Amino acid sequence: MNKKSVTEGRRAVITIRGLKKFFGKNHVLNGFDMDLYEGETLVIMGKSGSGKSVMIKCLIGLETHDEGTINIMGRNMENVTEDELNEIRTEVGFLFQGSALYDSMTVRENLEFPLRRHVEKMGHFSDATPLVLEALESVGLAHAIDLMPEELSGGMKRRVALARTLILRPKIILYDEPTTGLDPITSKEIVLLMKSVQQKYKTSSIIITHDVDCARFISDRMILLVDGINYAEGTFAELDASTDPKVQAFFKS
Amino acid sequence: MSFFRTSMQYILKYLEEVGEMSAFAGRFFRELFRRPFESRELLRQCYNMGNKSLLLVGVTGFIIGLVFTLQSRPKMLDLGASAWIPSMVSISIVREIGPIITALICAGRIGSGIGAELGSMRVTEQIDAMEVSGTNPFKYLVVTRILATTLMIPLLVVMSDAIALFGSFLVENTKGDVSFRYFFDEVFLSLDFVDLIPSTLKTFFFGFAIGLVGCYRGYYCKHGTAGVGVAANTAVVETSMLLFVLDFIAVMVTDIFY
Amino acid sequence: MEKSVARNIRLGLFVITGTALLVAAVYFVGQKQSMFGNSSQLYAVFHDINGLRPGNNIRYSGINVGSVKEISMVSDTIIVVRFGVKNDILPHIRKNAHAIITTDGLVGNMIVNILPGSSSGLAVKAGDTIMSFARVRTDEMLTTLSVTNENAALLTAELLKITREISSGKGVIGSMIKDTTITTDLKETIHHLRHTTEASHATLTKLNRLITSLDKNNNIVGTLRDTTLPVTIRQTLANLERSSKQLVKVMDNVNGLIGNADSTITNIRKGEGAINFLSNDPVLVTKIDHTVSSLDSALMKINDAGVKLNENLEALKHNWFFKGYFKKLEKEQEKKAGKN
Repeated sequence: MNKKSVTEGRRAVITIRGLKKFFGKNHVLNGFDMDLYEGETLVIMGKSGSGKSVMIKCLIGLETHDEGTINIMGRNMENVTEDELNEIRTEVGFLFQGSALYDSMTVRENLEFPLRRHVEKMGHFSDATPLVLEALESVGLAHAIDLMPEELSGGMKRRVALARTLILRPKIILYDEPTTGLDPITSKEIVLLMKSVQQKYKTSSIIITHDVDCARFISDRMILLVDGINYAEGTFAELDASTDPKVQAFFKS
Repeated sequence: MSFFRTSMQYILKYLEEVGEMSAFAGRFFRELFRRPFESRELLRQCYNMGNKSLLLVGVTGFIIGLVFTLQSRPKMLDLGASAWIPSMVSISIVREIGPIITALICAGRIGSGIGAELGSMRVTEQIDAMEVSGTNPFKYLVVTRILATTLMIPLLVVMSDAIALFGSFLVENTKGDVSFRYFFDEVFLSLDFVDLIPSTLKTFFFGFAIGLVGCYRGYYCKHGTAGVGVAANTAVVETSMLLFVLDFIAVMVTDIFY
Repeated sequence: MEKSVARNIRLGLFVITGTALLVAAVYFVGQKQSMFGNSSQLYAVFHDINGLRPGNNIRYSGINVGSVKEISMVSDTIIVVRFGVKNDILPHIRKNAHAIITTDGLVGNMIVNILPGSSSGLAVKAGDTIMSFARVRTDEMLTTLSVTNENAALLTAELLKITREISSGKGVIGSMIKDTTITTDLKETIHHLRHTTEASHATLTKLNRLITSLDKNNNIVGTLRDTTLPVTIRQTLANLERSSKQLVKVMDNVNGLIGNADSTITNIRKGEGAINFLSNDPVLVTKIDHTVSSLDSALMKINDAGVKLNENLEALKHNWFFKGYFKKLEKEQEKKAGKN
């Protein structure tokens, strides 16, 4: 009921129906449904090993799912060509849990790497510095442009990774545990940054986390992933008020 | 029964890996001719593999030339055939010792390097990051590296051969008063295209094998940081074995044509 | 950017050095094999190449002048070896030079050794075929170890070739016309024949004189004329006479034969029936052979006869019947010598 009120009149950019993923006999995902609407921030919570990361990797095509359909911006992911997939991937940013910066390259090269390989979308640059600087400024790290990843702290790495995602101007950003492994203060900074990026670039986001504070602060809507299905959906307030013991387990810890 | 089953499993696993590696090689050739070309990364890899291995390969080659001549010299003197040392040394170095030793050293240096680098890129999700940014990590990481080893190993072998012959000349010169002119006259007199061409051609395959196995092991690295060590280790072991097999095949093929 | 430029320069240096080394190696190996530069092709035909391989060296008067390019088998006994020789060496190789396959040193590689011909010969041209000899084997080399032996081996080979050709009666017109061996042989034989005939003639005269003197002297010997001994002498004489007759016949035969051969050759020269001659030729040679052998046997007989005669005369000397006579003869001769 309330779900309708939040999502009413909005276009779904990602639609997942009946997603199943097996690792041998282990059913990680068992019929997961999800919609992401334009401009919203969706937080997906779940325990470790509940299949959150697997779901998001299936979404971007890093893992292949066994059953179900995934539709991103009107395109069915089951039958896209490699070129089409790469085109979709420029529209969908992905922020890895461990930042995944290319550690043999400087920050600048990290950011230039995707930029120079999407000439058809981004155009050809003789000097990409303005764009790189713009992306770094939006995460507050313009001064770190010529550093190597090993010279950066964990929080800075996340920010650079975010800048690297932003440089392709994606319409959707997927965050895989953005605050995990960071101290509370840095976590807060990252969450604030995500919020500001969200407003600045008008992106839709899916955030995978088990950080309740993060979820409370940033979410428009939440999905609880339990036993491989979307167990509960709603705003943070709605779910926090739920009496379901499995839902309560997330909030009363 | 259980022994049978385990050995069957090993065989199946082995076959699976051979198949995967062949598919990997096939993908290399498909991607090789597809635009865009990662020429800058290719040059960087060539530099890393070529120039930076030169010292190691050169020193090894020099010592091999030196030791090989020192060791065979007394026996040849006994036989009264010391005049044959240049030709004997040159043929063995150019045909066999130069290529195989250089390739083995490069398997250790370059192969393990590739395995560890790509392996750690895999476990820290850097390869995934490239993939999700819509770029082609295979082209950027694998094609450039395999191409670089395929092109650089032959050059390293040629240089190693030259340095080894120079080392051999030094021994001959100091111990046997052999002039530079005479030594290298003898060397080129005894060398034939049959010695030179097949042994140069096979080094391209050696280079390809080093790049292929290293990249394959690194690219499909699993099980976290421990997996990186395994990838590097397996890359060296498998490459070394593959090198000997290739060498054996090369010798047989050469025998057919000459 | 600066860094990557410097890196690329060093990489370029590395690649150029490596490639240059490889190219240099190919060039030097090629040069040693006379693959590049100016070389001309020559051919030599062998029956057995003793494991010669393309790329083996060609040596002329001890200088490496080229290498073997190609070995092809034309028939079961003919192997054609094509080899390149440096152009600046070519004018020094005569058409009468010989190619021989030997080993370089005692156990070294096989090489084609070109032995210089006589200086009167014409220089070879590209594409010429050089005469060849069978290779002298290493073990032979080991036992002789000298150039002389090589020469001797060559000579033997040449002789062997000639003898084989004569004995097998190969109908080569050239060998019949050019080769003087057979005629020389024949001439020699005839000469010997004449010699023998003269010798036997002299013996016969002596014998006649002896018998005459025996007749004249009415001594004890004279009375014994009809006994066994003179019979033997007579027999011997008859034998000799018969031999002489036979000899004369043989001589006639030989003469006729030479005449025949002469006329045949004249026929060839005239251009008459060359094919006819060829088909007749083996028969002719066989004929000559036959004649020579019969001549031989005749000579043997004459010789035998001579030996027998000598024996008889010796026996006469020692016989006590004639002792006195011979002594008297000796004394008379001594007297004559004393008077003189």
